[in-house]
Amino acid sequence: MSQRKRSRHVALVLAGTALLGLSACREEQVDAESFPDLQSCVAAAQKNSLWFTEDDCRANFAAAEKEYLETAPRYESKELCEQEHGVGKCGGDPTQQQQAQNGGGGGFSFMPLLVGYMMGSMLSRGGGIFSQPMVQTANGRYTTPSGNQSFASNRGAGKVPSQVFTSKAAPTIGKPPLTQSAVQQRGGFGGSSTARSSGSRSFGG
Amino acid sequence: MQKIALPERPDWRARAEELGFTFADMGGEPYWDETSAYSFTLQEIEQDIEIPSTELHAMCREAVARAIDSEDWLTRLAIPREHWDFLRDSWTNGEPELYGRFDLAYDGSGPAKLLEYNADTPTSLYESASFQWLWLEEQQGLGVLSPDTDQFNRIHEALVERWAEIADQGTEIHFACDKDNPEDYATVEALGWSAREAGMGAHLTALAGIGLTEDDQFADDEDRVIGTLFKLYPWEDMLRDDFAPFLAVSQTRFIEPPWKAILSNKGILPLLWEMFPGHPNLLPAFFAADVEAALRGDGAAAPAVAAAFAAAESQLRRGHVTKPIFSREGSGVTLYQQGARPETNADDSYSHHPMIVQALAPLPEFDGFRPVLGAWMVGESCVGLGIREDRARITHNLSRFKPHFIEA
Repeated sequence: MSQRKRSRHVALVLAGTALLGLSACREEQVDAESFPDLQSCVAAAQKNSLWFTEDDCRANFAAAEKEYLETAPRYESKELCEQEHGVGKCGGDPTQQQQAQNGGGGGFSFMPLLVGYMMGSMLSRGGGIFSQPMVQTANGRYTTPSGNQSFASNRGAGKVPSQVFTSKAAPTIGKPPLTQSAVQQRGGFGGSSTARSSGSRSFGG
Repeated sequence: MQKIALPERPDWRARAEELGFTFADMGGEPYWDETSAYSFTLQEIEQDIEIPSTELHAMCREAVARAIDSEDWLTRLAIPREHWDFLRDSWTNGEPELYGRFDLAYDGSGPAKLLEYNADTPTSLYESASFQWLWLEEQQGLGVLSPDTDQFNRIHEALVERWAEIADQGTEIHFACDKDNPEDYATVEALGWSAREAGMGAHLTALAGIGLTEDDQFADDEDRVIGTLFKLYPWEDMLRDDFAPFLAVSQTRFIEPPWKAILSNKGILPLLWEMFPGHPNLLPAFFAADVEAALRGDGAAAPAVAAAFAAAESQLRRGHVTKPIFSREGSGVTLYQQGARPETNADDSYSHHPMIVQALAPLPEFDGFRPVLGAWMVGESCVGLGIREDRARITHNLSRFKPHFIEA
């Protein structure tokens, strides 16, 4: 045949159930382990190190602390911070306390306390080991500063999406896609159909 | 063009299930029906469908260029005034179109006639691009069809190429639809897979889960800002929803682009007829408000269309359809034929919108079924065909999908 009029191949595994579709869009899962502090990480490394060493603990704990100072949310009042992170789970901004001691001016803000850190093995992505600090949520769970994953505890091992480590909490202005944002309102699309009919009509046609 | 009875693939239902084609049967009737197929000659496909559809799309682009600067047309097309600049900017910035589907009446002889253009949210993409393709491959494998048969179906490859043309590598694209509607969902998934193959990031999000951030950007149901949004949701609704005031300021790139609001509107049919009167692939069409008194015989056509109406009057009297400018799946369509009682689609949920009148191009009949040809556009080219048929004269949402092939 001179001129074939059909595709050489097509994506056959599609039109899936919701599961199929979502799994296609799910990020890769990586090994992760979280610790309330550096000591418990070092202890775990000494006991049964599977993919991290004591040195990894130290390096990543330091990185997580730095990350925490750079990206954890800052609030203008302790009340506001406690609303988001729970009573007794907030403190002053350590960077500002430092500045104040050095005679710097500026307002005072509040941050959720650093309550642990999480390490992830990104070896399969050619990465090495990455970390994220953990803070608490208002309902007592644990989350990275970006808030895109929350966990019941700050100790334990499991699989988490690699995005937990690759997508850091970002500043809120001019956010690129796929970084976390503060959503004020939902459901503004899909409500006012020109068809004004109820039921499960297709939006397409 | 012929309809040919063929043995079904013995395991196609299992195959459909395995591939997640969950709506192969709907409402107790088959939706996918391969007990027969339509066959075409290459000449019919190329001369009567592919080339004319590509030309129709070029004419549609001319119609957009005309309407976008015309207060009169934007008003007639019911584009809310506050969004005129939003549409105009998307057109002048050259925002590219992704896909669309012409619905054509064609019987294998004479020019195909444009019934309407689903330029914004066409569905049945999965069936056309993927399951139909598989049907041909497997029927050839089983020896039911000769290995030299072909199919007009470059849809998937064309989509992959189009994504690469219109978006930078690695662009994160959100796909929004009503996830609970399997047809819409399958269409969006087919698009998402083609985008991934083109090197894009594809993320599904429920349409109703889209949120608005404090910076007036849109975010998905996981709070991630949406940079590029494919929406299987019509522009006429987007422009009227609660979030409509944020469309222009959101910094989101929309696919289809906002100017498609002009084409996803049956008001373009009178516009095309005004710009290209007598074109062989067009049917005479008018806004009902301009001609209904004249058609009833108790008034005159509006002065601006009087001459065009006079030229088409006898054709319209033989038969015409009326349809709302916004309508899906045959809703609100009424068919008038000389000497017969009007036939109407029972669903009148769009009928409060302005109506258009279009000359009737009766669908051909094959074994008691009337096929409508869906000519798929990707970018500015016609790249494939999907056929749906029904016993009723007005094709609707439960009409069957029929595979086709090109004779060896």
